Amino acid sequence: MTEQPEVVAAETVETMITDEMRAVVGEVMSTSLAFPIAASDIRKWALAIYFPAIPPRVFWDEDYAATTRHGGIVAPEEFNPFAWMAREPGPGARPARFGDFEGVFGIAPPPYRAVLQSKVTARYSGVRMRPGDVIHSTDRIANYYERQGRMGLQLYTVVSVAYENQHGEWIKTVDTEFVRYR
Amino acid sequence: MSLDPTTLQAGDQIPVWERAGTFDHWNRFAAVNDEFAGHHMDDEVGRHEGFDAAFIMAPLSHAYLHAMLRDWLDDQGRIVSIEMRLRSPLLRGRTLRAGGQVTAVRHEAGEIIVDLDVWEADDQDVRLSAGPATVAFPA
Repeated sequence: MTEQPEVVAAETVETMITDEMRAVVGEVMSTSLAFPIAASDIRKWALAIYFPAIPPRVFWDEDYAATTRHGGIVAPEEFNPFAWMAREPGPGARPARFGDFEGVFGIAPPPYRAVLQSKVTARYSGVRMRPGDVIHSTDRIANYYERQGRMGLQLYTVVSVAYENQHGEWIKTVDTEFVRYR
Repeated sequence: MSLDPTTLQAGDQIPVWERAGTFDHWNRFAAVNDEFAGHHMDDEVGRHEGFDAAFIMAPLSHAYLHAMLRDWLDDQGRIVSIEMRLRSPLLRGRTLRAGGQVTAVRHEAGEIIVDLDVWEADDQDVRLSAGPATVAFPA
């Protein structure tokens, strides 16, 4: 998915991006607060990622982890503390339809028949998630752009999620690029 | 032999990391990430969506890139960033291979910063993902 946007004459431009959508770029879509991370959450995540191998001990062996530069168990960088349920907003808080990103702003999403992930970029501060941490996340629509592709006009939406711990330390930001097409 | 970050240079290869694409693997990830979509668990659903079989979850593909880098880093360094441009999902029954190559090495703020190109392909040489990554070691 590295093709460059097609350049077309201004009067022929067809777009799925409305002024209402442009106005919410950078605005907070939602915030979430996770339940405290349990050591077993980390252990099970690591077991799933490394299966059938044994994961690195720093993810499950407290005595070993205490001897490392981390000083204790840490979570793999990609660990998702919001799986299953968040403390806030609580159970059942899912969008009516996956891909309806604008719905939280009261904006009707552009018509589309499919949505796919096209790119994921994760950036890490070096601060690790640990047992007992309470993670807060902030979701924003970071960008919109369009391309002409095999499926016609494709709308790319970058949803940026920033994670902080209970001390206000930035842990990571994950930008996921979704493509919607009609 | 343990990694010596002071000797790294452009062109160095990261050992290839492999995982089979089976429901045994994906169901475990579904269980920890609450990701029970039919196209990850049922070949018929995958075929209905235009693929030859059920296919891997994108976050698991992303996690496998992390695991590949972590095995190479051997806890001596940290992951700074990973970008994964998805080209094709791993299909059930195939094997994912992940690897990478050092593209640049520089010193910055007391760390050795190593830029990489990382990739995933299957055992039939279908490219699954590619993108840049950066890791850092204490100088």
